[in-house]
Amino acid sequence: MPPTPPAVIETRALTKVYPGHVTALDGLTVSVAPGVTGLVGANGAGKSTLIKILLGLLPPTKGQAKVLGHDCGSSADTIRTLLGYMPEHDCLPPDVTATEFVTHLGRMSGLPPTVAKERAAESLRHVGLHEERYRQIGTYSTGMKQRVKLAQALVGDPALLLLDEPTNGLDPAGRTAMLELIARIGAEFGISIVIASHLLGEIERICDQLVAIDAGRLLRADTITSFTQTSQVLAVEVTEGLAQLQAELAARGLAAAVHAKTLLVPLGGDGTYDVVRDCVADLALPLCRLEQRRHQVEELFRDDQDEQERVPHA
Amino acid sequence: MPDSLQAAGVIHDLGYRGYDGPRLGRSQIVRALTWHSFRSSFGIGRGAKAKIIPVLAFIAMCLPALVNAFAVARGNSRLFGYDVYSPTLRVVVVTLFIAAQAPELVSRDLRSRVLPLYFCRPLRPGDYPLAKYLALTGALLLLIEVPLLILYAGTIASASGGRAVWHETRALIPGLGIGLMWAVLMAAIGLVLASRTGRRAYATGIVAITCFLTWSLSLLLLQAEGGMTATSTGARLAGLFSPFTILDGVRMWLGGTSPGEVANPGHYGPLYGVLAVVLLAASLGGLAARYRKVSQA
Repeated sequence: MPPTPPAVIETRALTKVYPGHVTALDGLTVSVAPGVTGLVGANGAGKSTLIKILLGLLPPTKGQAKVLGHDCGSSADTIRTLLGYMPEHDCLPPDVTATEFVTHLGRMSGLPPTVAKERAAESLRHVGLHEERYRQIGTYSTGMKQRVKLAQALVGDPALLLLDEPTNGLDPAGRTAMLELIARIGAEFGISIVIASHLLGEIERICDQLVAIDAGRLLRADTITSFTQTSQVLAVEVTEGLAQLQAELAARGLAAAVHAKTLLVPLGGDGTYDVVRDCVADLALPLCRLEQRRHQVEELFRDDQDEQERVPHA
Repeated sequence: MPDSLQAAGVIHDLGYRGYDGPRLGRSQIVRALTWHSFRSSFGIGRGAKAKIIPVLAFIAMCLPALVNAFAVARGNSRLFGYDVYSPTLRVVVVTLFIAAQAPELVSRDLRSRVLPLYFCRPLRPGDYPLAKYLALTGALLLLIEVPLLILYAGTIASASGGRAVWHETRALIPGLGIGLMWAVLMAAIGLVLASRTGRRAYATGIVAITCFLTWSLSLLLLQAEGGMTATSTGARLAGLFSPFTILDGVRMWLGGTSPGEVANPGHYGPLYGVLAVVLLAASLGGLAARYRKVSQA
């Protein structure tokens, strides 16, 4: 990695207040490097507002945002030729074929007629739609519709893709397939990607870096490795002696937090498993669950507030 | 979904190709969207069902001109004026056409929530309604002017001498101008009403009911005031209550003499002109405001 690759997205003190004093973004300052980036936050954290500002659809109340070096206010037109956007919600007309639809949107991206046709066919093939693309979209499964949404974002050959909750409404297999597809686009197509999601556990697998926002403010922005180090925990459940176990773990240097009758132990490495095992064995407690927990992003946010609870009551 | 995993595997083999070729500017994209919308306002590029109403409307509108060609060939004089054509038929067909096709142009996209996909592209929020407006205006022009041209062609085919042809041509030109006026105003009204809702049936209802109700109101008021030949103030103002009668009032104000839908507005003529312009401005303003709001939603 070069020392400082130019940021694909840069915001400075970005604030958006909707009429009625609803603050969606509150002084957000963040810089996103090229690659696959997860934009995580609970529902209402400000992800969609941020995306709309980046697309130049909403003017910020205060602050500045830049995409690929262009200012979102003054160069919104330029930015929109460089972006591909996949909205969260359903956005496909049921009564046209995927080919017609993506071709038309290719035209709307500024592609000449024949190029639009070629690229539409190619984009649909890239997302895994083959013969189906000549069928009306209304007959598609949710997974296929998500693919069409991705294909229309891809058709204009964007430098940056903004994907808003791309796995929405998909079953587990569909989610995995969609994430693999996105990872491929990021790795092999050379397109930077920002994925907005409220499921950290899901997207962390394919992201190079994560930006976590909460209530319109930046919570943390870091590479995926430093994120997972701080966010992965071991959930330990025992049918009795929870406090005992917590004290024992504290004595051996592991600060465990109690959360809904479960002990959450920060996962340092394989050694952590051994310590927990030994503690449970030494205290002869009935262990009923021991699992590596993938954080929901809400839990990540709770960490700071729960700091006090973590102090073991000896 | 095991197939999709396989399909994803294919991606790797094919590889991705970027695009470095020329890209169209904003105005060319607007033109492409206008053309696309114009075609779909006649159901072209859509299924067979989408073509039924526009094609029937077009045929209905052409019937008087075809009948005229037949009559003129048998020695009659021209049956319809170029400025009013067949007044009631024109009102009914234009109403039907915009009630059916304005929702086709705007409500569909609202319904399927496809608009964010337009607004995240180089188009600006005002470009989308502009393209739709140009498309529907063009479609209405086709619907209104082609029958006039058929009427003209049918008449001069049996005309004797250059003088008669020149006479017909001079009568045709203001007629085409009035058709343009109709298209420009009715397209704006149709779109601003249809863009209120994504539900197509409602949108059709709103457009049809607004047009028919106001038209009936004006005609009833005119009747109450003594009909088309009356010269009372009430009769002169009765036409101000619907877009069609306003258009007809403007025609008479500008010098039209054929009996149409309204009583001669006399010195209230300018009022009709002002109202037509206000109605057009309000409709276009409402349309632009609607899409400014939608683009941020």
